[in-house]
This record gives sequence, structure tokens and C-alpha cells, in this order.
Amino acid sequence: MVISKMTLKNKVAIITGGGTGLGKAMALSLAKEGADIVVAARRAGPIEQTANEIRQIGRRALSIPTDTTDSAQVNNLIDSTVNNMGGIDILINNAGAVGRQQVGNAPRQMWDIPDDEWLNAINSHLTSVFYCCRRAAKYMVAQKHGKIINIASINGLRGWRNGFAYGAAKAAVVNLTKSIAHTFARDNIQVNCIAPGLIDVRHLQPVPETQDMPLKVDFFPVGRYGIPEDIGNLALFLASDASDYITGSLFVNDGGGIAAGVTPNGYAPIVELRE
Amino acid sequence: MVSKAFSLYGKIAVVTGDNGFWNTTIATALADAEADIVFAAKDIDSIKQAREQVEHLGQKCIAIPTDTSQPHDVQKMVEQIIKETGKIDILVNASDTEFAKPIDEISEREWNTVIDYNLKSTFFCCQKVGQVMLKQKRGRIINLVSCLAERGMENGTAYCAAMGGILQLTRSLAIEWGKMGITVNAVSIGWFAGQPLTKSPNEGTLLKFIPTRRFGKPEEIGSTVVYLASDATDFYTGQVVYVDGGIMVRP
Repeated sequence: MVISKMTLKNKVAIITGGGTGLGKAMALSLAKEGADIVVAARRAGPIEQTANEIRQIGRRALSIPTDTTDSAQVNNLIDSTVNNMGGIDILINNAGAVGRQQVGNAPRQMWDIPDDEWLNAINSHLTSVFYCCRRAAKYMVAQKHGKIINIASINGLRGWRNGFAYGAAKAAVVNLTKSIAHTFARDNIQVNCIAPGLIDVRHLQPVPETQDMPLKVDFFPVGRYGIPEDIGNLALFLASDASDYITGSLFVNDGGGIAAGVTPNGYAPIVELRE
Repeated sequence: MVSKAFSLYGKIAVVTGDNGFWNTTIATALADAEADIVFAAKDIDSIKQAREQVEHLGQKCIAIPTDTSQPHDVQKMVEQIIKETGKIDILVNASDTEFAKPIDEISEREWNTVIDYNLKSTFFCCQKVGQVMLKQKRGRIINLVSCLAERGMENGTAYCAAMGGILQLTRSLAIEWGKMGITVNAVSIGWFAGQPLTKSPNEGTLLKFIPTRRFGKPEEIGSTVVYLASDATDFYTGQVVYVDGGIMVRP
């Protein structure tokens, strides 16, 4: 049965950055399909809130406050998950994924960006992914199965004005995914990457946001922004047994934005064949 | 447990092509997700096994003899489907016609056949079935290609060109029909046991080249096609899903 492969019954998943926005949406998507969830992020309040909502739909849930740029805290997150939940089947590296403010016109010139801003962005978006994969892979290799889903961004696939550290870190996540996938392909661990377009999560934030989205909707050939379910369903597919032969792949879920690119939006010439 | 997110209950799916390997695995997976199936094949014998599988799963099945490289034939097929079912939700172009030869030995007839039964068939099936989907303001088009669409292979000139053509057709059409409720995606396949391009004296070398160290299984294509055909992928268009055991990752 093909469809029956797309269930996550009794699998254990860690979702970093799971207290708000996209991370929370993915946590709930996986829980609805039967997964038990460990939610991690810096702030205890939002992740405990997510964990409560998961318990209400009948799955086990833990919230573990974690700064994913601190390897000791990451190791504690993964070890605690294995000790308390009996293993780790799925890891979704989503922490730091909310980078919408980095798109578009930055308030400063490149030469005014201080060292720590660059380093913090690289740590938050790239180093944290390495730390989480490093610890989880050890357990996944031992148990001979595992699914890792890294959340990158379309910002990592093209150059964006003033998008330096965020785009570079996200591009690096795409390549890190491929190296980890190749390394552990023979150990039955699948490692894939999702590059979301612009997902509208303003209504999901603890304090709903009303500011404008940083890209015009025209950028997306389907003519709308993404909704959390667009990414939640993809994460579900990649976390399930239905994707067991897919590894090292990048899934760009952006309403066709990146499929375009050499002509402006709406450019549609007509050229007749010569007789 | 059935996930409602991927159910194809009540949907009509057209699966094209004479490739019994792919039309069987794809139709079986779609029927397993509760879609009804229409086969469009020139050689109706090629869908015998596929048809048995679909009927065994309790889904409806229609077979329409069609030369998919002939636009007129494709048009007649579309009209017959509309007469019988009233709609088309999903089109899977799976006519995959494999071929490999040194370029200086390829005749014009061979070139034309490779292009006609891969690229031209896909183009006209998209064009004609697409007219129905445009009226419905909804549709899913899934084009089967090989990883050779983006990588070269010795003796692969004609086939790689046809596959690359399908991929670029996919991307362009996704943009053209992005606002019309139609998503257009490609499933790119790596090396699968039993396929003509996999059977060579160097099969063992090929196997070692795959990061996962095994060939793909037919059903692994089916589950991906179901995902792309489902209502879960409204925002997913113009993309390629590689079912390749990681082969596109390695240098």
C-alpha cells in the first residue's frame, strides 16, 4: 500500500524552532499523522504551548528549551529525546528559519555590517544545523534508519540584494544536506532539504503581525504567498516511508518562483517561425 | 492509516505511454490512492498488467488506443475521456522510450522516434489535456523524465536531448499556467532494476556508483507520483522530484 507508507505512527520527531510560525505548523502536521514530537527553541513559553497543543491531539510531546548554536545544549536535546522517547526517527532543522526581515532592502550598507552580525547569522542558520545533524546521526546510524529534513530558503539559491549572511548560510545548508546524505546513504538515513518560498505565517505569531511581506506576490507564478500547510505536507512526505529512496534532494516549494528567472514577470513575446 | 492529505478519491488520472514498467507502477499507485485510471497507449497490450492491477484495487479503468505522438489522436482521446467521465484531474506523461547509441550510428528515423515518443508526446498531451484543465481551473500534470535530462551519458545524445526537452517544457508550462490552478512538475528517475538503460555489461559498476548502493524499486516511483497528484501540492510547481537514491548528489 502506497498511502499507508505516508503515516508517521509512533515515530519520534524533533523540530527545532517549533514554538512559532512554520516550525509549529510542521510540528502539528507531523503529530496529526501520528508522530510523537519534541519541540525545541530558545524560549520555553512558545514551545510548551506547541507541546500542549500536540498532547491535546493525543500524541506524546516534550518541550526542551535549547539554544541550537550551543553544542552542549544541542547534545542534551538529542540525548534527552532518545532517553525519554526511546529513539529519534525524524529531525527537522528549522531553527532560525524565519529570515524574512533579511530579504529586500537592508537598512544599512554592506560595509556597515559588524562582525558579530555576520557570525551570529552563520551560527544561527548553518552551524546549528551541523550541531543537530552531528549528534542525531550517531543514533540514526546505530539504529540503521533516520530522516533528516533541513529547512533552507529560496534565498540560498539566488543572489538577493543585501541578503549576505542569510543567503550564504542557507546555500550552505543545501550543500551540507548533500554531503550528509551521501555520507549516510548506505546506512538507510535519508537527508533532504526544503527551500520554502515566502510563507505567510504572520497570523501564527504569538502577537499577529500586520507588516507588509518583503516580496511582491507577483514574484510567485501561482500568484499567492505560501501557507504553512504547503510546507507541512512536504515535511510529512519527506518524514514518511514514502520517500525512502529520496536522499540529498532539494525541494523548492515556492509557487514556481525559482523556476522562472531570465525574464521579468509577465514578459510573453510572440515569435513566428520563418517559412 | 490513510492520510487524507494524499487521497485521490474521486479523481480521474490519465496515464500515457507503452512502457509497461512505468504505466503499471504508476497506475497501481494512483489506483491505490483511489483514483480512477485512463490509459492512453498505442500498443494496448502494454497496459494489460497495469489494467489488472487497477481493477484488482477496485478502481475504474478505461483504455484508449492512442498514438500520443499524433496531436489528432490525442485530441480524440481527450474527447472520449470527457464523454465518458466529464473531467480530467491528473495527467501523467510516462511514455518513456529508452534509447542509446553512438551519435554517428543514429538514423533520422531513430532520432524522430526518440523525440516523438518522449518529447512530442508529452508536449501534445499537455496541450490537449491542458485545455480541459484550463476550463476546470484545476489540474495536475506530472512528467516522467530521467536524471539524464540534466546529465550527459555516452551514447545518450538523442535520449538526453528528449529528456532535457521535457524538463524545460515542464518549467515553462508551470510558469505559463501558474495562475490557472494547474501545477506542472517532473519526476526524475535514477537507475531502476530491469530497465533497458540499466541492463548493461557494467551493471555492477553502475550499482556501486549509486550512493544508496541499490537500484530503485518500481513502487518508489508510484508514491512520489501520488504525492504530486494530490491536493497537498497546490503551491508546488515547476519543480523536479528526483527519485534516484541520491545519484544527482555525487560528482
